[in-house]
Amino acid sequence: MSTLSRPTRRDLMVLGAASGLSAAMTPLFATSVLAGGTINFADIGVGDPGGDWSRYTKTSGFNVNLVAIGNAPSAILNTLVAGGGTASYDVINIVGGMQKPLVENNLIEVVDTAQLPNWAKDKNIEEFLGKGEPGFNFIGYQGKIYGAPTVLQGDSFAYLPEKTGKLDSYAALFDPKWKGYVALEDNYTTAGQKTALYLKHAKLAQIANPDDMTADEVKTVVDFLIDQKKKGQFRVIWSSFQQAVDLIVNKEVYVIDCWEPMVFAAKGKGVDAVYADPKEGYLLWAMAAYLTKNPKRSPETTKAAYQLLDFMLGGWYGAKITVLRGYMTNTEAPVYAKEHPDEFPAGEAQKVAEITANVRRKFAQGGTWQNRWPTHVDVYESEWARFKAA
Amino acid sequence: MVRSIVLRAFLLLPIAFVAAFLLAPLGLTIAVSFWQRIGLSVRPAFVFASYLTFFDSVRFEVLTRSLLVSIEATVLSLFVSYPIAYFLAFKARPDATRLALLLFTTPFLVNYVIRAFAWTYLLGRTGPINTLLTSAGIVSRPLDWLLYSDFSVLVGLISSYMPFMIFPIWLSLAGIDRALIQASWLLGASPSRTFFSVTLPLSLPGVFAAAIFCFVSSFGESAIPVIMGGVGYQLMGNTITSAMDVLNYPLAAAMSTVVVLAMTVLLMGWYLLFDMQSFLGKILNWRA
Amino acid sequence: MGENVRRSHALVWLYVGFVLLFIYLPLFPPLIFSVVTGETGAPAFTLSRYAEMWRNPVLTDAIVTSLEVGAIVAVIAPLLGLAAAMAIRELQTPRLILSLVLLPLFIPGVSAGLATALFFHLVGVPPSLVAIAIVQAVWALPFATIVILVAMTTFDPVYLEAAWMSGADRLRAFIDVELPLIRPGILGAATFSLILSFNETVRTAAVQGGYNTVQTYIWATYKQIGLSPTLYALMGLLIVLTLILVAGFLLVGARRRTG
Repeated sequence: MSTLSRPTRRDLMVLGAASGLSAAMTPLFATSVLAGGTINFADIGVGDPGGDWSRYTKTSGFNVNLVAIGNAPSAILNTLVAGGGTASYDVINIVGGMQKPLVENNLIEVVDTAQLPNWAKDKNIEEFLGKGEPGFNFIGYQGKIYGAPTVLQGDSFAYLPEKTGKLDSYAALFDPKWKGYVALEDNYTTAGQKTALYLKHAKLAQIANPDDMTADEVKTVVDFLIDQKKKGQFRVIWSSFQQAVDLIVNKEVYVIDCWEPMVFAAKGKGVDAVYADPKEGYLLWAMAAYLTKNPKRSPETTKAAYQLLDFMLGGWYGAKITVLRGYMTNTEAPVYAKEHPDEFPAGEAQKVAEITANVRRKFAQGGTWQNRWPTHVDVYESEWARFKAA
Repeated sequence: MVRSIVLRAFLLLPIAFVAAFLLAPLGLTIAVSFWQRIGLSVRPAFVFASYLTFFDSVRFEVLTRSLLVSIEATVLSLFVSYPIAYFLAFKARPDATRLALLLFTTPFLVNYVIRAFAWTYLLGRTGPINTLLTSAGIVSRPLDWLLYSDFSVLVGLISSYMPFMIFPIWLSLAGIDRALIQASWLLGASPSRTFFSVTLPLSLPGVFAAAIFCFVSSFGESAIPVIMGGVGYQLMGNTITSAMDVLNYPLAAAMSTVVVLAMTVLLMGWYLLFDMQSFLGKILNWRA
Repeated sequence: MGENVRRSHALVWLYVGFVLLFIYLPLFPPLIFSVVTGETGAPAFTLSRYAEMWRNPVLTDAIVTSLEVGAIVAVIAPLLGLAAAMAIRELQTPRLILSLVLLPLFIPGVSAGLATALFFHLVGVPPSLVAIAIVQAVWALPFATIVILVAMTTFDPVYLEAAWMSGADRLRAFIDVELPLIRPGILGAATFSLILSFNETVRTAAVQGGYNTVQTYIWATYKQIGLSPTLYALMGLLIVLTLILVAGFLLVGARRRTG
């Protein structure tokens, strides 16, 4: 790791000596002063290719300083707005759909896709994330592109077939047969949206768009959930990857609303868990890498940031992330993995091909696109609070 | 004299430190709590809207729950920690004391998130404790209430803050002049009488310190409730995060301000009910 | 009479053992997870994660940052705590100063973190080791102060008066007489500050900018990608190191007794 990104042992004495903390200190830390340079890359953990950025560094001459941030809107926005501002990070890689607050608070820049050669090669973009499609909301806002899609996935739920047999509908989450052995995610844009999708399909509620519900529709969904909660249907509402995996591996629950990598992790620990293919469809989402809006960033750093975005749209990165995390990345990934058996042994290349094909199938089938920032997000939040407090 | 000026500066340093790095952010928080929320952004104003939203909603129940849980955790922790501190101060060999304190403190260098997850493994339906209980025949099926319940949250809180309880109480007890206790015996008091009339009152500074630590830490806790709590269990830390997640900073600030106010009120109440003398006793009198 | 004493002794030891078990029990699962691998379904024993740990640059950087910040906080917080305790004693307004020093405890972590980050942003303190150290020192200050205060309550001013009567001035008397007697308090304050620093997550995450501490790294990974065995290995290493430390003290103490 470069020492260039940390000119800090000296600043301890500097700041200690000066009693007035003035903005005059900032030039000492501006990245434009550093030669050769580092890209500050904030990532939720999914985008870390095992620490190996060597291929990127070789082509761009820049190092990557990966900073772990949470995926919660508060974690991202707080750091960008308050904790050092947009100068802290050059690129942030988070689950998309947050463009509205990010753009309206002047935190990210429009991406010029002409500078990204790999953009055109990724078939996922034109097929699923084009303008006018709901998928566009993960990378763009008001017609402009802001992010490069790094991960795409379709979510449903997982179950333990040895306990439940084969399940093919979200109804399983609310089936009294599994009372007390069900877990939901603590997230109104995933669990809430999946419940809405189910209620709509089962004709238990009148919901026009599960991905952007009205206040009344949200209330109906939450009333249903509260009713289920009071009946003791749920064991817990989980809020972290680790917790969800533990729930499956320890067989604490039999049916769980979760993400597919958790199933891979459980399988890796020898537990037979299956990710369902529900007839109502999937919850589709994408992660996108954004460029932060930092007027003080040097042109060299901006160029290197673009190179990073392009690198993440490339075959090696895509294949690596798919192998490590179990998410689909881009369509170049399986091709690259197959053509480079020295870097990706046959088993891994196979895995990449399978995952990519499987997720593309999910996208083709459809379902509902996750909406991280619905029109009435305030109502979502307060209603979800009501569910939690019930 | 230069020395007394330097001394004075040294004494004032922590106050300046707190003033700069705490009062200022706190002031910001209080100011923002009165701002108005327009759509997704905030505008400086002076309205009580956020406070009204808070008191009028389910979030207020979270405040009462936080109070209750903190009190429960504190009382339970005190009952668990006091005997240990007593043991360390009176029953253990003097040279073993430091070692024993080390023994009781070092596990907490391990991150509490990891320890909380370890507890979820231990307390789960298929975990070692339930397995032990069912195989020994003590229960017929695994106990559900061991995990994801009020019980598990208390376990998490108590096991997180225990060293902060044991040490202050031990400090107080270890500092009690043994002559006082011997005098009590010589005067004919039974061991329990000696304890309640002499030892316990003299150890109150440590007990109060321990109580303060546990209470305030539990109140603002955000990780333990989500890792070990039941369906939708939350404390103040969680509701505040949740409000921030929708960029409702005035609401988050209002809730934070209410928490600070509640704590300050409790502190004032403590000042009124307990004379500072009993806590700081000799310290405040010493120049007299 | 002897029977009762022995029974109560046994009960006491049983209780102590029980509490020790309670404290140490959650340390075992991480240790076990760090060395056991069930990847192929059958449990196997491996130490590979302990080596892997050092190859992860983000983790090693985080370890360095945590150690640096921990060291800074373990020195600054007790010093400030000592000054605060003395201020409560010397200056005329003990309650006000005590309230001020306790204030950091009252603010929930998430709010304190964000507000401090905003404040730093406004006055131009960049995210850096110093920013993290400040935020953690503010949080540790009340703990350190109270511990030192409690230690001071056990100190009998009679000793100081004796020193004054022997001709020492106040500062000398303080350094030579009082300080050694409240040393356990100061050491305790330093230990607490270190523990608090090693566990502090939310406030640090808000101001850390480009840095990670081990805590914030764990916080981010457990939410999004799960705790990796290497993290358990890191914690396992910490556990083993502290147990070695404890054993070391035991040996030193034993040798001193027989020597």
